[in-house]
Amino acid sequence: MITLTINGKEIRLDKPVTVLKAAQQAGIKIPTLCNHELLKPFGGCRLCVVEVERMPKLMTSCTLMAADGMVVRTESDTIADVRRAILEFLLINHPLDCPVCDKAGECELQDAVMQYGPPTGRFIEEKRKVRESHDDPILARNMERCIVCTRCVRMCEDVQGASAISMIERGGRTVMEPFSSRSFNCEYCGNCITACPVGSILSRLYMHSYRPWQMDKEVETICGYCGVGCSFVAQVRDESIKRVIPRIGFGMNNGLLCSKGRFGYGFIEDSGRLKTPLIRKGDALVESTWDDALDLVAEKLTEIKDSYGGRAIGGIASARCTNEDNYVFQKFMRVACGTNNIDSISRTGYAAAQKYFEGLLGQGINANIIGGIKRSDMVLVLGGDPASVNPVLGLSIRAAAKAGAEVAVIGHAPGLERYKTINVLPPLFKEADILEALLLEVFRARGNRGESHAIDRAVSEFDKEYSGKTDMHGLEELKDKLLKSDSISIVFGMDLVQRTDGHRALFATAGLTHLLEARLYLLSERPNEQGVIDAGCVPDMLPGGRPLGIPDFRRRYEDAWKRPIPDTEGMTLMEMIEGAKKGDMKALYIMGDNPVFNLPDRTFIKESLASLDFLVVQDIFLTETAELADVVLPALGWPEKSGTYTNLERRIQLLRKTVETTSGMDDWSIISRLSCRMGYDMLYTDAENVMDEISRVSPLYRNLSYKEISDKECLWPYNGEPLRGEAKDIKVIKEKSRDYDADLYLALDKPLFHSGSISQRSPGLMDISPEPRLKIGTRLAEKMCLKDGDNVIISADRGSISIRVSIDPCVNGKVVLMSNNFKEKGALGIMGYNLDPVTKAPGIEGCAVTLRRG
Amino acid sequence: MLKEIEDIKAKYPDTRAALLPALYIAQKEFGWLSLDAMKAVANALNLPESDVRGTASFYSMFRLKPAGRNLIQLCTNISCMILGAERLRDLLKDRYGLLPGGTTEDGRFSLVIMECIGACGTAPAMLVNTDLYENLTEHNIAEILGKYK
Amino acid sequence: MEKFLLRNTENPNSADIEEYIKTGGYKNISKAFELQPSDIIEEVKKSGLRGRGGAGFPTFMKWSFASADKKFPKYLICNADEGEPGTFKDRPILEKNPHLLIEGMIISGYALKAEYGYIYLRGEYPYAYDVMNQAVRDAYDKGYLGDNILGKNIKFNLVVHLGAGAYICGEETALLDSLEGRRGLPRNKPPFPVNAGAWGMPTIVNNVETLANIPHIIEIGADAYSKIGFPDCPGPKLYCVSGHVEKPGVFELPMGISLREIIYDYAGGTKNGKKLKAVFPGGISAPVLPADSIDCAMDFVSLPKAGSMLGSAAVMVMDETVCMVKIAHRAMKFFERESCGKCTPCREGTEWLRKILERIENGRGRNEDISLLTDISNNIFGKSFCALGDGAAGVMKSILKHFRAEFEEHIKEKRCRFKQKD
Ligand SMILES: Cc1cc2nc3c(=O)[nH]c(=O)nc-3n(C[C@H](O)[C@H](O)[C@H](O)COP(=O)(O)O)c2cc1C
Ligand code: SF4
Ligand code: FES
Repeated sequence: MITLTINGKEIRLDKPVTVLKAAQQAGIKIPTLCNHELLKPFGGCRLCVVEVERMPKLMTSCTLMAADGMVVRTESDTIADVRRAILEFLLINHPLDCPVCDKAGECELQDAVMQYGPPTGRFIEEKRKVRESHDDPILARNMERCIVCTRCVRMCEDVQGASAISMIERGGRTVMEPFSSRSFNCEYCGNCITACPVGSILSRLYMHSYRPWQMDKEVETICGYCGVGCSFVAQVRDESIKRVIPRIGFGMNNGLLCSKGRFGYGFIEDSGRLKTPLIRKGDALVESTWDDALDLVAEKLTEIKDSYGGRAIGGIASARCTNEDNYVFQKFMRVACGTNNIDSISRTGYAAAQKYFEGLLGQGINANIIGGIKRSDMVLVLGGDPASVNPVLGLSIRAAAKAGAEVAVIGHAPGLERYKTINVLPPLFKEADILEALLLEVFRARGNRGESHAIDRAVSEFDKEYSGKTDMHGLEELKDKLLKSDSISIVFGMDLVQRTDGHRALFATAGLTHLLEARLYLLSERPNEQGVIDAGCVPDMLPGGRPLGIPDFRRRYEDAWKRPIPDTEGMTLMEMIEGAKKGDMKALYIMGDNPVFNLPDRTFIKESLASLDFLVVQDIFLTETAELADVVLPALGWPEKSGTYTNLERRIQLLRKTVETTSGMDDWSIISRLSCRMGYDMLYTDAENVMDEISRVSPLYRNLSYKEISDKECLWPYNGEPLRGEAKDIKVIKEKSRDYDADLYLALDKPLFHSGSISQRSPGLMDISPEPRLKIGTRLAEKMCLKDGDNVIISADRGSISIRVSIDPCVNGKVVLMSNNFKEKGALGIMGYNLDPVTKAPGIEGCAVTLRRG
Repeated sequence: MLKEIEDIKAKYPDTRAALLPALYIAQKEFGWLSLDAMKAVANALNLPESDVRGTASFYSMFRLKPAGRNLIQLCTNISCMILGAERLRDLLKDRYGLLPGGTTEDGRFSLVIMECIGACGTAPAMLVNTDLYENLTEHNIAEILGKYK
Repeated sequence: MEKFLLRNTENPNSADIEEYIKTGGYKNISKAFELQPSDIIEEVKKSGLRGRGGAGFPTFMKWSFASADKKFPKYLICNADEGEPGTFKDRPILEKNPHLLIEGMIISGYALKAEYGYIYLRGEYPYAYDVMNQAVRDAYDKGYLGDNILGKNIKFNLVVHLGAGAYICGEETALLDSLEGRRGLPRNKPPFPVNAGAWGMPTIVNNVETLANIPHIIEIGADAYSKIGFPDCPGPKLYCVSGHVEKPGVFELPMGISLREIIYDYAGGTKNGKKLKAVFPGGISAPVLPADSIDCAMDFVSLPKAGSMLGSAAVMVMDETVCMVKIAHRAMKFFERESCGKCTPCREGTEWLRKILERIENGRGRNEDISLLTDISNNIFGKSFCALGDGAAGVMKSILKHFRAEFEEHIKEKRCRFKQKD
């Protein structure tokens, strides 16, 4: 216990902190500039000086550790004089352009000058001139205003871990540069904007458009881009989001955001937003009214249900819709349409992996607290780049690495390139081999956990069957490090699920997770992939992950919903699509997703959907899928709705309506109106009302209320019943990897600046990354004499695409990478697939391609 | 160049420490530190490019713009100044058209004004490339520079 | 006085290892290895040796803090950045007596249980770099460096690391950042380098001359050593004299000799017998002394009493032809250029001072400038992050104090009287 006195007030500290922090804890404010809560002390600006008894000089409180018996004064004439002098120094070169500076009103320098600054200037010389820089997308930099606090540099290096900003030159000529993604590794997270106390780094999205004090409202909400679910405050004026700002102390992102979260909100105002329902008349979709459109849908679905039964109807839910939307959707499908054919695009990754892991290891296994990564001494990253799929989760891995953790990466993760400590290079598409080998090595070294779990038996059996020995670069080291570590996090990306033999990697990872008692994390590209499952939008589970096949569970829901639920498991996503092609599936209801674009093999998907008798699409844009629909219903984007998302840690968070719009209707509201028309009344008043029902029926969300969600952290099981246990028996399938001997393959890239297709309607993100690129390795580029930006035509057996290349030294020589975000230029469209027989996810590996200049 | 950098890495417990030596090597190889040269160093040491650039720009002996074939580093700090270094500086301007920080048109010389180069006892002094010349006068400086083509 | 630091340096081959051995070199290693490391630290304590890098910090104190720390490896770093303008005292050791430094480092490394040494040498000394590298290679060949020194289980590895032109890298924590491959910004203290220095490990940073004194202490013993020169901070000292003197150069003299003696008895008096005007006794970071103050003793204790500091013992002599406004201007230009930019007062203040001085020197001074210069200096002094800012402010204040009239004259006459003579 440390006791010190600040301004006559006695302060007790449990753990050693700086004098500045001690003062803050006691409610005493000391002015600072270079200090920032997320950053280590720097001690450069000298504004925070205080007097300490028995110390001859004034001390900077931000760097001075509080010590027992210290007597500190934070205000005196001498201190005020020094602060005035410091501010005078800072002002001599700082342009006095507050009237045109966007920071005015929230500028820390301005505030300090108001309180301590000199009334007039004595500097008559010429000020330093620095040209304003527009070299970067999104960021406007005005280093003339810079006060060299270096907060941006430290933020970029120590917290974001991108190291795109450095101090250039020295002394008074110091400027903060270079940023630019073109040749430096700027990730456009914009955390430097948060860090900058003055107007040196600003977002061009809001520059010159408003003053911070001219806001109509500030809404505390969460980001709808990925499964991390960062918190932020959206500032709104005239029902338009002007900017989003993360707040320190809020959410698990604690003041940080990624490019998508910070700059990606513009899609909501895109001119292509659907405004009224559309009905197909021949080849055209024509504007209609809600009544006509809903009547038509109700009529058609009833007709199909009556003639073919519920099994001929399928529903595709959305991981961008809320828990409330999805819950209402599955209830509608199950009860009003009489089918369990409900799935989502998550089946291509998250849902498939989640089901497999939960089946083997028990419910909740794949959902751990992101903060745990930072405290790991080893992080194993498999099949995806956390730093681009879930950027803020990626930061935890970087933080762990900085704190000395070992980081091993199997797969393509350029965002961790400088952080990985172990290099493992499995042959192309054979990651499962190395994981299996690793599992056996770990098993042989450590044995099973001896608690006789099904997984232990399965691993022993697997061990017996396994014959070959895998000898791969880095395997030995990886095994040793894993065995030496006490606290391991495994971060599992979807690249390994989208394999014909994806279940092999999943089994091996499950085994490793179990034997090493590791924390498992699933990367989640969309905001509500966990929620869509929890809500029951899966063919085999009712809300709360209760197996449909168990009559007791089914009965409970039937009691609550007062209608029977079909007792056979429904079809998975790809089965529904394939069923459409075969003619078994007559009607599909797609809420908030775009399978034509987001699934492999475009031609096939289109043909399948065209074979349907009736297709309904509910969306905010006229997507490739909506274009094929018989009825299109305009919905709301996430900033326009209230509801909840459940992130990849199974944290339930409130999405608060940020802007009002007249464009569309809440997804749950559309569905419930439709349901009423089909004879099953759903009379919800608002999203909260839907949650009231969920919290009554779903064991995972038991007794959850919006009030509690906004008051405290809510992770399921929430006041819940016990979770489901693990599998009783696991069938071990021993397979060998296929051989891949084509010259070149196409693989899917998950870019940092885009997600789905909404990012492309966001001017901020399009400014950062305006066009798709085919990423090719250095060697291939040399062989084909390609330079960054050259155009090529890539051909696969499902089609070809003309695209520009960018050279990426981290790309394996035998693959090229392409994203699936840009209209007409999505990689999935030209890739074929084979279903993984176990997970039912489409495997897209091994798509041979050729490349030519064009 | 890469081989040389590899050897240097071994002398330190951490690869980053090889940055200054590596920048010297790159500067010798390319004459100056272009963005490409710094990128090569960044790759060789697995460091962020911005860090390499930030570090290089801190030190006055790293040249971030193209330089002439011969680099004159003239000291004008106090001991040299009071013994006439400024007259030498003017002479370089008048005779060679050489301004501090500049390069002659024929690319023969670049001039950098140095802070103290530790030759105060034999002031004024300059380094031409890595050769030290002391007790400079308006007469002997022309003769010395004549040796550099 | 018998020379020790510069022993044999008139010999053109003094840097040669054979020559060094011939004149008794490397003998002190064996002698030292017979002692316990703690005994050597005790000897250094008794010797009264104070650091020659500028601050005059008692060497044994730094050493005992570092040896008390239980973390390993420990690093011994020789500060050969010699960046203080006017200073060229370490250069003769580096260029002509490199093995003395190496011998000193081996003994110090043994005493401190530091098995790795680095010599951080300023980039401006390319010749010394070659000599030192050759000397290190030779010492390895002879078995004085390496894993089994003199066949014993004693290890010391030494690397010469070249700086690249940044005065601030002479400051010991900035030096560490620079050694680690970063921009040379001073670090927060605590933790002090003795506990968390290079690569986070206990690190001892000593000046070239400090380390070069160690063999001497071993050779003649702490008692004899402590009797050399001024008792409060004894030992031989290198003084380097430049500027307006007849015979500039480096002189090895007992600590505590008077400034007058140095200038008139060793450096041959002022050049052409001109009138002495002012002296920087310890480089341009040490306050200027006017001509009438040169009777003070040149050591770490006496000079502060006379209003200056020993610093790097760089005696810069200025005669009556020199304009003190111009000197101040040039000094501030140096500090402005060399300020690392980390802290506000030094970064902005030195630039502001330089701009005002430039104006005054060019005949555009204003009456309020003198008080403004004083104010700015006071606002830097004691508020900067490291001693560079203090140095700049201290020098400015000393020039204003002793030569205020010259500033007033410039302002009044709107010109510099000295310029026309030129
Ligand atoms: C701005 C500044 C520059 C310095 N430059 C040098 C230098 O060039 N050489 C040196 O030995 N010490 C220099 N020092 C002193 C060092 O910080 C440190 O005190 C010294 O290396 C310790 O060695 P010593 O104990 O042997 O004196 C400088 C200090 C400051 C504040
Ligand atoms: S006083 Fe401040 S700006 Fe100056 S060199 Fe020291 S830390 Fe850097
Ligand atoms: S806040 Fe303490 S020095 Fe800047």
